Amino acid sequence: MNKKTVGTKEGLAFGIIALGVLMAFMPSAAQQIADLEFVASEPFPILLGATYVLALLVILAGVGVLVAKFDDKEEDE
Amino acid sequence: MSSEVKTKAAPRRKRLPLTYVVAVVPVAAALNIVGGQINTVLKLPTFLDMIGTMVAAVILGPWWGALVGVITNVVSSFISGPIGLPFAVCNVAGALVWGYANIWGWARKNWSFFLVNVLVAFVVSLFAVPIYVFIFGGATGHFADVMTAAFLGMGQNLIVSVFSSNILVSLADKIISGYVGLAIIEALPENLTSSARLPKSEGLKRIIIPLVGVLIGVAIILLFLAIA
Repeated sequence: MNKKTVGTKEGLAFGIIALGVLMAFMPSAAQQIADLEFVASEPFPILLGATYVLALLVILAGVGVLVAKFDDKEEDE
Repeated sequence: MSSEVKTKAAPRRKRLPLTYVVAVVPVAAALNIVGGQINTVLKLPTFLDMIGTMVAAVILGPWWGALVGVITNVVSSFISGPIGLPFAVCNVAGALVWGYANIWGWARKNWSFFLVNVLVAFVVSLFAVPIYVFIFGGATGHFADVMTAAFLGMGQNLIVSVFSSNILVSLADKIISGYVGLAIIEALPENLTSSARLPKSEGLKRIIIPLVGVLIGVAIILLFLAIA
């Protein structure tokens, strides 16, 4: 495998890392959003909703890992 | 021998040079951020923050597009406040639809490429509407709020009003983003866009087709303005 190339596996990995980063930002974002004047929601329901949606995307990423083909030898050719 | 036959029967996506990916991802995110800022400054009834996502999802792959989407909204939230951060999931959803539609060959013809953009608009709205309604109470200060108010005035409930206004804005936005992205991909060297399975056109059609797509998006915006 050529180390200077990237493929489906790395794409999925970085996609999942990005979802993790987004999840890490959500608690502070939920508090900041709840502090906005026109927002009636509390931080907890905002965080709960965001967690459910991100969980759905992580599940989709898992399905993506299942259906993706990672045969690097063939991809390198 | 058998693996040779298998390779010919089912061609794999090529591995991409790391330097190419490292160059494209930040540029695509920057394109999204600049588009979003221009949209905010000019107060346009669109979003224009998914052009780079579309380009990355098609030429690199759906999950690279998702990465571009997350980078876009995280960086934008530092620039213009936390409102944009929950909408990162919309950017990710759009990247996945564009990317997988490209992999599965759904966007090879001109009419099917148009329909893929419509599908992206629909899926993005499905993610955006609950965020609008349950987090922001139906309004974020975007131009579409005017139309949401108009629908509410007609006696519709909040979810229907937000969905109706959002799908119109999203439709125009994703059609414009899709065709601007198509123009960008066609302008790139062919060896860098070998994984793109988009409608191929020659000569003047390379300009006319994206232009017609953008004009359709603008026409939807004008319709939107007429209703609002």
